Amino acid sequence: MLSLNKGEHKELVYINEPNLDLSISQAEDSVLRIVVIDYPHSTPSRHVLDSRHTIEIHHAGTNCQTEIYALAYVSNKDCVHTCTRVKHDIGGGTSKQIIKFVLDDQAQGSFQGELKILPDAQKVSAFQTNRNLLLSQQATMRTQPQLEIYADDVKASHGATTGQLDESALFYMQQRGIDPATGRKMLINAFMQDIIDQISDETLREQVRQQLE
Amino acid sequence: MSELIVIKDLHASIQDKEILRGVNLTIRPGEVHAIMGPNGAGKSTLSAVLTGNPLYTVTQGEVWLKGKNLLEMTPEQRAREGVFLSFQYPVEIPGVSMVNFMRTAVNEKRKYEGKEPLSATEFLRLMREKKKMLEMADKLNNRSVNEGFSGGEKKKNEIFQMAMLEPCLSILDETDSGLDIDALRIVADGVNKLKTKDNASIVITHYQRLLDYIVPDFVHVLANGRIVKTGGKELALELEEKGYAEFE
Repeated sequence: MLSLNKGEHKELVYINEPNLDLSISQAEDSVLRIVVIDYPHSTPSRHVLDSRHTIEIHHAGTNCQTEIYALAYVSNKDCVHTCTRVKHDIGGGTSKQIIKFVLDDQAQGSFQGELKILPDAQKVSAFQTNRNLLLSQQATMRTQPQLEIYADDVKASHGATTGQLDESALFYMQQRGIDPATGRKMLINAFMQDIIDQISDETLREQVRQQLE
Repeated sequence: MSELIVIKDLHASIQDKEILRGVNLTIRPGEVHAIMGPNGAGKSTLSAVLTGNPLYTVTQGEVWLKGKNLLEMTPEQRAREGVFLSFQYPVEIPGVSMVNFMRTAVNEKRKYEGKEPLSATEFLRLMREKKKMLEMADKLNNRSVNEGFSGGEKKKNEIFQMAMLEPCLSILDETDSGLDIDALRIVADGVNKLKTKDNASIVITHYQRLLDYIVPDFVHVLANGRIVKTGGKELALELEEKGYAEFE
């Protein structure tokens, strides 16, 4: 169990780290940003990856801020499961989660997002979004947002979408001379971009961007 | 060169429904052809088929572009050969910036022509030049392709892309739809500025209005999947007056 002190700012970045198990408690006015990016590379010798991330956040003091950004680009028969549990015990805090999956081949992804706002946690803003891009007919995604809100003066929203690459955008690009393979890459990169942008270390950010492209 | 594009007895369908039923059309460099006609006549199908839209199937006929078999080419090959479509509904591509999009398109075409790609500096200079020529504001570079653009901005952006790619055959599909008179004038001025003795345009429109600004050499009436009448620019005025009733 990790804890953030009063007013502490922390950024945690995990690139290709399997089976994260984080449990973090935040004291008042602390600011936490977590970026989790997975893009397992396949090698013939490697076993199928089955990674389960659990990220638990607990707002123990007032005015805490939490941002969770997660991206998994999974192919072959690999699986990535991400579970977030954000609990607002006390009022005034904000939490923001953007969780994205890009699934190719027979890859599987799942997202479970538990968000709990307890009765004393008034004036909380909690925002959760899960967007998934399926690149193959055999890829599967399960998504399960779970909101439990016991306070009455809060702003909370959640949304989940799962879709495929936009065929009309691909044709538009082709009509400008861009072949479908390049067009597809551009659309996938566009989908992933806002998560990669969250890594504040420029060197690492560019390295991740290049490896994903 | 005598002929830029020759369309012979073109038949095409969508989901087994025949839309084009034998279109014949020859266009020479330097010419502007207007295609008018009632809704559902096949005007947009013609532009979709010429650009290789996979939703449509060509069932009969031939199309030759500068002596090459157009129908055997992929959509991107057709584009690199110089066929440009100004879309009736330009597509929004969130997350792909105009600069990245256009640079990829321009360099793919250059590669196809055996030319070196443009450097970032050369490319930005080209973009600035074209915008200046078209009197368009220099603000869309970092915006995503068409995302959040107004109807007028989208159509101007199509003409800007046309200027960047310098096509030999431009197809303007209902470019006037949804434009107010000022936007219409900017778009039409752009098209006129891009006209040379070597390129040609097909202007698809339902109304005569656009043809006040882009003056066609020929006006064709497309009805029930065929060109049923051809005339000079005065035919457009006649259609405006009488409507399409006699062709339906």
